[in-house]
Order: sequence, then C-alpha cells, then structure tokens
Amino acid sequence: MAVLGADYRREIEIHRFPLLVYVLVPLAALVLQAWLPWVLRGYTWFDLPLVITVYFSLTRRNPIQGTMLGAGLGLFEDALTQHAIGVNGVAKTVAGFLAASVGVRIDVDNHTIRLMLIFLLSLLCSGIFVFIDRILLGLELDWSWVAELMKAVGNTLIATVLFPLLDRVQIKD
Amino acid sequence: MDSFFVRYRNLLVLLIVLVAQIVGLAVQVRRTGGGRNSLDSRDGSGVRLVRLWADELVTPPEQLFHNSKLGIANLWQNYLNLRHVREQNQDLEKTIDRLRLEQAQLLEDARQGQRLQALLSFQEKYVYKTVVAQAIGSSGNDQSRLFYIDKGSADGLDRDMAVISADGIVGKVREVFPHTAQVLAINDQTSGAGVILETTRIRGILRGNAAGQPQIVGILADQRIQPGEKVITAGGDQIFPRGLAVGVVEKVVRDPDRDSFIDVIVKPAAQLDRLDEVLVITSTLPRFSDEQQQDMAISEDEKGAEAKAIEEQKKASEIMAERLPGLTDPNAKTATPATGAAPGTATAEPGQPPATPAAPKLLHPQHPDRFMPGAADGAAPAEEKPKPRQQAPAPAVKGKQPASKTESTPAAPKTGSKPATPKAGSKSTDPVHPRRNP
Repeated sequence: MAVLGADYRREIEIHRFPLLVYVLVPLAALVLQAWLPWVLRGYTWFDLPLVITVYFSLTRRNPIQGTMLGAGLGLFEDALTQHAIGVNGVAKTVAGFLAASVGVRIDVDNHTIRLMLIFLLSLLCSGIFVFIDRILLGLELDWSWVAELMKAVGNTLIATVLFPLLDRVQIKD
Repeated sequence: MDSFFVRYRNLLVLLIVLVAQIVGLAVQVRRTGGGRNSLDSRDGSGVRLVRLWADELVTPPEQLFHNSKLGIANLWQNYLNLRHVREQNQDLEKTIDRLRLEQAQLLEDARQGQRLQALLSFQEKYVYKTVVAQAIGSSGNDQSRLFYIDKGSADGLDRDMAVISADGIVGKVREVFPHTAQVLAINDQTSGAGVILETTRIRGILRGNAAGQPQIVGILADQRIQPGEKVITAGGDQIFPRGLAVGVVEKVVRDPDRDSFIDVIVKPAAQLDRLDEVLVITSTLPRFSDEQQQDMAISEDEKGAEAKAIEEQKKASEIMAERLPGLTDPNAKTATPATGAAPGTATAEPGQPPATPAAPKLLHPQHPDRFMPGAADGAAPAEEKPKPRQQAPAPAVKGKQPASKTESTPAAPKTGSKPATPKAGSKSTDPVHPRRNP
C-alpha cells in the first residue's frame, strides 16, 4: 500500500536541482519580468515569477517550500510596483501551496497536465489579486477578464518552452 | 499535540504566511474621508525599505542590459543575420557581419542623437530646470503602469516631480532611490493630473483605465467635447506646470457608474510605451539665460531710476502746491469780509506767496457758462459780488491779479446765463472782462 501512497510517490519523484538554479532562476525571472515588458513595449501578458513558482512547487512537491517561494517572489513583485506589498504575495503563496499539494497526487512528468495546471493557477492568481484589491482592501481597481485570460495563455506558452528547459538542469540520480 | 502540528504543518505554515501578509496589507491601507479605502501615497519606512531592496536587486541588471545593449531583440536580430550570412561566402561573412553591426550601431547612435537633439531643443526653450533621464525598466505588472529611470536622489530628484518628454507629459516621480527612481505614468489607475480641454476649457482629472489608456474622469456630459480637441495641463495639481501638452481627445464614453457623467479617453501626446529619454522637472522656478538676466537687471535699474524721478516730481509738485494759490470756492470768500481782503493782500505783493494761504482761489474760465459751479444760484448774489471786487482790485492789474479779479465775475454769467448770455453777453456788457466794456 505504501507504494501507492502520496508520501511514497513524493519520495521517489522529487526532482532536485543545483543550488545555483534555485537562486539564479527565480532572480532571473524577477529581473526579466521587470525588464521584458519594457523591451517588448508594454506587452505584459505573462508572469514569469508565477511560472517559476509553479514549476518548482510541482517538481519539489513540498507545500512549505512552494508556499515560501511563492510568498517571496510575490512580495518581490509587489515591491516593484506602487501597489500594496502583499497582494501578489498572497496570490502566489496560495498558488505555490496548491501546486505543491496537487503535485503530490499527479504525474508531474506529464507535460500536458503541467500546462493545464499553470493555466488554471494563473487564473486563480488573477482572481485572488482582484479579490484582495477590490474586496479585502476596498480599492478601486478596474480589470478585465480578457486581459487575465490572455495572461494565463501567455504563461502557458512560456511554460511550454521553459518547463522542458528546466527539466534538463535537474540532477539525475 | 505533536502529531497535530506534524500532520498539519503545511497548512499551518500556509496560514501563518497568509495572515502575516494580510496584516501587512491592512497596515498599508487607510480609509479616506469619502468612505473609500486608498493606499497612502507615501510609503512607510518599512515598506520603502522593501521597495529599496527590490530596486537594488533588479535595476543593476536592467542597467547592465540597457547600457551594454545586449537586449534580447539585438541578440535575436544578430542571430538571424548570422544565419543569413552563413549561407554566403566564408570571406564575406565576417565583413558583412562587421559592417552590419557597425551600421546598426551607427544607426542606433544616430537615432539616439536625434532624440537627444530634440530633447535638448525642447529643454532649451523650456523655462524650468530639468534633468535628462533614461527609462530602464518597468514594474512588470499589467496593473501597474510604472517604470524606472536611471536618475535618483543623487541627481537631485525628489518625489512628486513632473516627468515629461518632448511630446508631452509622461508621469510623476513616485519613489526616489539613490541612483534610480520610480515614475508613475499618467495612464496608471492610481495616477492623477489636473488637465483642461483647450477649446471648451473644461477641467478634469486625468488617470488611467484598466486598458492602460489615460482618461479624464468625472466630467458632466457635454456635447461640446469632440474627438481631436487638445488636452493640456491645468497647473492646479502642484506637479505639472500649466499648459503642457497631454494629448488629444480620442473618444467620449459614458461613465459606467454614473449616468450623467462621461469619461473622455485621451490619446497621449507622449508615446508612453516607447519611452527612452525623459525630462524630470527638478525646479519650477523659471530659469533664464544670461542675456535675459542682464535685461532683467537693466529693467530693474531703470525701474528704480524711474521711481526716483517720480518721487522727485512728487516732491516738487508738493512744493509748488505750497507756493502757488490753490482752488477754492469763490462763494466762501465773498461770504466774509476777511476773505474779501485776501485778494487785496495778494494784489499788494504780486509774486509773493500769501502769508496765509488759507483759501485757494478758483481760476475762472474766460467763457463761463451755466455749468460752472454756482451757476444755478440766483442772480442777486451774483450782482452783489462784483461790486467790492471791481473796486478793490482795480489798482492791481498785473500778474495773476486779473484772475483774482475775474474770480469775482463768475456770478455774472449766473445772472446773464439764462436770459442774457447770448444777447447781453455782447461787448457792451461783458461781465467777465468789465474793463473791455466801452
């Protein structure tokens, strides 16, 4: 029975990366997230920190690590804007936790499932963002579902390319 | 108990992290007077510290990318060029590659030179003190139209300074770090700028919408607002100087929340998504050239000299006023014998100031009419007056005395004005110049 349990699956399917990858990839995601929209002249329909959070949460399968990674990257993103610090933090904390929790129960090597997951988590993040801004904080924020949908699609497209690339830098047993 | 924490440690960690962040959010938001919540425009010290860390971490790589021009676009372009060249001759490959790189570099330099030239000419004709800055990155969030520039407090920048380009206004400085600064663009939802429509003179507040378009909000429905009308800064927000170009009206839409109000979508004059160099207005005091300052100094000197001359003239006129006889009501003189003697004393010493310049004299016109003071009086007093006057001043006929003589005659027209002026005013009975009478 233990062979079919979640703990056992997690033990055998945890992916590990060099320490430098853990440091550089999130940092690069943050820098590129701030720099690429400027180069691409306002195209902001992607969220690289979210993609990285979901990827590491799925592969590491540790909800605490996913929570902390999502919180850290989200807070960092907030710090680069004029918004309250914590809106993206909460959204990505939840995304990291859910990705890691779901990752225990699904086959993370299946690329299609990972893409579906990133698409759904992107929409969830947008929903949490709007919920916190408009309901919890009571701020006036206009938003459109089309833009959020486009962002989810953009994240999925990036994940299509990025996930296989990151898979290659895993430490093979 | 241990098993509880072990079993639910993931959820507990999640809850702790979430609660901590929500508490942090609650601290940053405050309730405004209108019952709505808003973020404090000035960050607390803790929040500012977090932003400073983020800025210090992100902007150096951004500046590195920007300065070395190793952008992804350039890399991609070079890669394509390289592939194209590989199909050709091996000898030409290096030459073409080098030439293309040089050409691209020169072209980029030329473009930058043109942009800087335009900016410089704009800066020269502009009367405020400005600092040229380069945009190096963005916030990376589609809900936040905020970008970073490569100048900070070390360059004299401060919060709430206006950021403009040669085309129009861009935004305002939101946060300043030592070598970088955050600029909140005018198309952000949290921005605000006082603007005025150039033709209709309708004022409003400009801010961004969800699509990143600047719009003027809170305007009552007005048919006069037409697409194409220019929008300029109103100058009342203490950030943007008055009269700077904002853009043109693109379209007018109904306010979804309020029926009688409209939103005016504005097409910004500045290319907000293609900004490279911008100007930060560091001082709103007018800046004048040397020539202008010299002109102003000369003007000030002349103004001082003129004021001095006017003062001297004033003094002189006061002295003259003391020495010269003034104006008075002739009736007042004739009323008392003392005043009646005054002309006599005046005539006794012509040219001398009167010892008691008590009663200024009214100079009489040569051809008095019924509009003269006292013309409405009856004829009787007028007839009474000439008698003593014609007798007393008779010996003195020089200088101003004729005037003093004639001052007694205003009564004559009073009498003759109505019935006798045209007819009896003939030479035979000239009341003004009695001695001319035959």
